[in-house]
Amino acid sequence: MTNFHNLPRWLHVNLFAKPFDAALTLIVLPLLFWVGWAFAHWAVAVADWSVVLGSLKVLMTGLFPADKMWLVWIAASLISGLIGLASSVTMPFGRAAQVFGFLAVAAALVASAWTTSIAPQAALAIAVLFFVWAIGHRSEALRENLAGIAFGVLITVLLVLSPAGPSTWGGLLLSVVLTLTAALLTIPLGVLLAFGRQSRIASLRTLCTLYIEVMRSVPLILVVYCIWIAFPLVLPQFPLADVVRGLIGFTLFYCAYAAEFIRSGLQAVARGQTEAAESLGLSDMDTKRIIILPQALRVAVPGLVGNILDIFNYAPLVFIIGLTDFLRAGQMILANPENSGRTYEVYVFLFLVYFAVGSVITFQARRLEQKLSKGMRK
Amino acid sequence: MTIAQGEAIVRIAELNKFYGSFHVLKDVDLTVTRGEVLVIVGASGSGKSTLIRCVNGLEEYQSGILEVDGFQMPRAEEREFGEVKGLREIRKGVGMVFQQFNLFPHLTVVQNITLGPIRVRGKSRAEAEAQAMQLLERVGLSDQAQKYPGALSGGQQQRVAIARSLAMEPHLMLFDEPTSALDPEMVGEVLDVMRELAHEGMTMMIVTHEMGFAREVSDRVIYVDQGRITESGRPDEFFDNPKNERTRAFLSRVLKH
Repeated sequence: MTNFHNLPRWLHVNLFAKPFDAALTLIVLPLLFWVGWAFAHWAVAVADWSVVLGSLKVLMTGLFPADKMWLVWIAASLISGLIGLASSVTMPFGRAAQVFGFLAVAAALVASAWTTSIAPQAALAIAVLFFVWAIGHRSEALRENLAGIAFGVLITVLLVLSPAGPSTWGGLLLSVVLTLTAALLTIPLGVLLAFGRQSRIASLRTLCTLYIEVMRSVPLILVVYCIWIAFPLVLPQFPLADVVRGLIGFTLFYCAYAAEFIRSGLQAVARGQTEAAESLGLSDMDTKRIIILPQALRVAVPGLVGNILDIFNYAPLVFIIGLTDFLRAGQMILANPENSGRTYEVYVFLFLVYFAVGSVITFQARRLEQKLSKGMRK
Repeated sequence: MTIAQGEAIVRIAELNKFYGSFHVLKDVDLTVTRGEVLVIVGASGSGKSTLIRCVNGLEEYQSGILEVDGFQMPRAEEREFGEVKGLREIRKGVGMVFQQFNLFPHLTVVQNITLGPIRVRGKSRAEAEAQAMQLLERVGLSDQAQKYPGALSGGQQQRVAIARSLAMEPHLMLFDEPTSALDPEMVGEVLDVMRELAHEGMTMMIVTHEMGFAREVSDRVIYVDQGRITESGRPDEFFDNPKNERTRAFLSRVLKH
């Protein structure tokens, strides 16, 4: 990307090419250093992180029963394995990944020496990520079935967590489960809606268009709240946990947006592609599934990733139906008078975790886009 | 070339096609016999591409008779009510090569070629791949099998497109201006492949502006003008002694260069 072999030249081109650049550099760089230094000083010397460490369980899992925490670790390892598999699709498992994986596992183990007892489990979850990444790097079959495996992992995660009862799910765990489930469900539903909107059958077309437009013109909170209230009224014989109703609300809302991104992808596929597939005698279904959809999804990737980020970042809204997600858990900790002086620590921690998760998603998405835009796998 | 003899593979009678109120094809009558190489020429917008696109159902027609390979092509009205049986049968036996190649960019060359045989003909992957390699050798691209279409030149892409059509073992090949989108130096390689096909006895309907090729390879040339076939004849008669005034004007325009 950049050529660091010639540092003076790099500095000249990137920071001091013109007088305006130089002025900007002289203002921005010291400012950045000052902010960075002030933050580092605060984080090390002033801040008292014991409030975060002490409340880590609540922040991460909410009211999840403490004696069933091993279920969470199984779920975390499964999700971490899924991230590993996704990594093997987007980047090779090279020397850097090996070193990084080794260091991460080692760091987690070393941390167990003087912090909490969770470090071995954390090390396990991290190790799973790099292990699956390494396996996925070698097995094309695994990489090609990422979507199917993701659904399998999701269902397993939900089953693993279910003995504790969905009403106990909270904290980051809830945010991640909500995002993962909604993300995986909105894409296939979005595909169906997008094709439905282009259908020859007028009733189907009208229905899909109506659904998409209605969902896009109302706020998320309204949909989540309506589903939460309406479900027990309409189907009293099926009592559903708040979490499940919240999930349904998010999925129903965001699949309309997914459908629009996919529809724009469908429109970007050249007419000649359909004609070529048709003249080979491919069935309508095969033409859509093998020729049109893969090309449309490529175009839709940036939009769909934005959609997933939206789901993650709007997950805190589930507090209106009484759920405790990551952000809400942080606020509940601060509601305790003992912790009232530790507002900054808690919010900085929330910020860093949100930033880390969001960055992983956008980083993976960018790699995926680069890979797809090359249009070749080898 | 001998004059092709035998049964009709395409039978078109009083075919009419409209785009809305625009009358594109007007009472077209045309019969193509097995083994015949038919070249269709005409000014742009005359309806010549529309005509061959009707033959495999990429365009719908409103009235008349269109029979391919013994199957009746459903009319526009029948297709609106979901009648596609004849259409599927016809497409299985008819190959089409497009001006813009229309290769599938997300599939490798060999995947492009094996897709039809596997999904439509029900061949095994191994069988289809062996056949694909044979076809690639025939069009001179054995070493490109694992590449993606985007990595090939226009001429190579068009040869892959021809191989893709041949993999379906068609009885009839349609070519819709197969060299019009190519750089001049690549026209020859595509025409060579087509010439070879013609010599092997493939039935072909070709829309082209390559008059030299038409004269050399075709058994019959027809001239389409404003949706009607206004002239039809053996290539030597057609080019040396056109009967119709407008054909003569057209030929003098395209042959001047």
